[in-house]
Amino acid sequence: MRKIFVLAKREYNSAVRTKGFIIGLLLAPVFMGGSFIAFALMKDKVDLSDKHITVIDHSGLMKEYLTQAVEDRDKNEIYNKETGEQIKPAYYLEFVNPDTADIFQQKLNLSDKVRSKKMHAFIEIGPDILHPGDDPVKSGIRYYSENSALDAVRDWFAGSINNKIRQLRIKELNLSDKSVEGLFNWINLEGLGLISVDKKTGAVKDARQIGVAETIIVPYIMVILMFMMLMMGAIPLLTAVMEEKMNRIAEVLLGSVTPFEFMMGKIIGSIAVSLTAAAVYIIGAVVTVGQLGLSGMVPFHIIPWFFVFLILNIIMVGSGMAALGSACNDNKDAQALQFPAMIPIIIPLFIMMPIIQEPLSHFSTTLSLLPPFTPMLMLLRMSTPVSIPVWQPIAGLIGVILFTLFSVWAGGRIFRTCILMQGQKPKLGNLVRYVLKG
Amino acid sequence: MNIIELQGITKRFDGLTAVDNLSLNVPEKSVYGFIGPNGSGKTTTIRMIMNILYPDSGKLYLFGREHTGARVDNVGYLPEERGLYKKMKVNELLRFHGELKNGKNLNNEISYWLKKLDLAEYANKKVETLSKGMSQKLQFIVTIIDRPALIILDEPFSGLDPVNAEILRSAILEFQQNGATIIFSTHDMNMAEKMCDYILMIYKGRKVLDGTLLSIQDNYGTDTIRIHAEKGSSVMENIRGIEKINDFGQMQEIRISKNADTQEILSEIMKRTRIYRFEVTKPSLNDIFIRIASPEKTE
Repeated sequence: MRKIFVLAKREYNSAVRTKGFIIGLLLAPVFMGGSFIAFALMKDKVDLSDKHITVIDHSGLMKEYLTQAVEDRDKNEIYNKETGEQIKPAYYLEFVNPDTADIFQQKLNLSDKVRSKKMHAFIEIGPDILHPGDDPVKSGIRYYSENSALDAVRDWFAGSINNKIRQLRIKELNLSDKSVEGLFNWINLEGLGLISVDKKTGAVKDARQIGVAETIIVPYIMVILMFMMLMMGAIPLLTAVMEEKMNRIAEVLLGSVTPFEFMMGKIIGSIAVSLTAAAVYIIGAVVTVGQLGLSGMVPFHIIPWFFVFLILNIIMVGSGMAALGSACNDNKDAQALQFPAMIPIIIPLFIMMPIIQEPLSHFSTTLSLLPPFTPMLMLLRMSTPVSIPVWQPIAGLIGVILFTLFSVWAGGRIFRTCILMQGQKPKLGNLVRYVLKG
Repeated sequence: MNIIELQGITKRFDGLTAVDNLSLNVPEKSVYGFIGPNGSGKTTTIRMIMNILYPDSGKLYLFGREHTGARVDNVGYLPEERGLYKKMKVNELLRFHGELKNGKNLNNEISYWLKKLDLAEYANKKVETLSKGMSQKLQFIVTIIDRPALIILDEPFSGLDPVNAEILRSAILEFQQNGATIIFSTHDMNMAEKMCDYILMIYKGRKVLDGTLLSIQDNYGTDTIRIHAEKGSSVMENIRGIEKINDFGQMQEIRISKNADTQEILSEIMKRTRIYRFEVTKPSLNDIFIRIASPEKTE
């Protein structure tokens, strides 16, 4: 055991006492949460160029209303009232009569204008929008642009046109505006947790509001953090072991330690590296949310589980990576093996959303009890606001412990056989043979 | 007492027998040289002694106890193909290996050996800044930093210039004088002759020689003449009793047949050229090595 710790200490020092580790520690969350950060930074960056829109109104109901609505918008909504700074693009509307002889030619001409950037989009309003019939073309409103799916202009016109249609329908019913005042008042269903009892005082506690942050972001961060720690600690073992084999350091060390001690020294060093990084992130996150007054969002009861699953996951993945590294003869071998070896930790990332949405489903439960996925997926389920049955994390933990023991045993047998072997390609059949026959 | 005892150990790799039924006793405080051509099984034997490889059959005793499983701290091992952590500083590297081997007084040992092997000024330099020869000397210090009772060196002199080879040789002998047992494999027959109390030669996985240099030479008898003749080896051809001539330029080594008369050979050569030196002797280790492992023998 002493030798394992001497090896682990060297691994830890060589990893942590480098600029690369500090830079990686700072940059990893930036890369991982890059899309969130970019979204947050870019959300106020709006394209302010003028938007010219042409309308083909088959109904003949909208010209006066939309012209006025656009005029009001450009006057009242596109400038910041305090600073006078423009914050939204101005809209310029043009109505054209439908070409009843060849509507497709007319729409093609308008499309060409959009393509040549002479205008932003055109809208075709069907003739039967007030009283929709069976024909979706006649009853619909169509918006044509180069990027119609994600276009704020489309949303604005959809709201305005439907507002006018609603007004016209109310008018047809001879109802006064006052009598329908509350008719369209939408009441949201507030998302809350469950009523609980305060363990200290015994008093009944009211339910807390459950937001998107607790439902999605907290579980997401937990799993991404574990993925990052694996990338930082376990995955590099493949190339590290391969390099020590190729640089002939392995045999020098094997004069003093057994192959198993060698492998475990590297894995424990990696665990220490990952725990250091994880502690930095988690303490940093807890302090930050505390400063922001959002401590209630942090699932403190999950943190011990996080560390237990993290340690087991690094041993499980790390022993596999070290074994594969020992079987490689060059960088080409290592590159070929790295991606397949990472699949068990990549799959949970792909199936995160369905599991966050339905943490109690059969699919979620089954996958989270498969040992290679348990550390990430059980933690994901436990991080959601939904309570999962108590036996499941315990059963998952037992499964992971058993599978980790198997990984270390199998990895150790491959490692022992391959670490001094030269010229043999790391084929699956050979690796299985080494596990079975040693 | 024997520090190492091998009893009929055999090791095969994919059907090829690398070491075949090898038995060996290495006495305490001796210097044992392993010689043999490339691929003869020296490194495999050493790796089995170190328990890095396990024999397929046979038994292996180290310090009188059967050797299986865990590493023994009191053994220093310098492999043939060696590497060091290049990004570590020299003194950090030595401390790491010293701690790994449970060494005592590491600070003193590190200073002593760095000074002895002319590396003191590199103590705080990274390993990657050292030349090849310096790295080899550092590798030797890594091997002996805990002052082991048994030192196993696989080709310790390969690639070293004569000055560094001499420094290393004196360091090895210091250990022997202090009571350590030393095994080393080498292709340098001259070094083996000078340093070894016992010599083991392995050829195609089998032991072909084992004993002191004198006992090995005695097996071959006094069948060698070292001669320095003015006209070189050309005048020695077709002389009755000469079996083989090795021409080294300034000196020729002649192997004579079993009942040849050395005086007759001398007088025959004297008829053909002037002779500056004539010595009847036992074959050198180099000659014995070549006799066993020469291509003709292989065929």
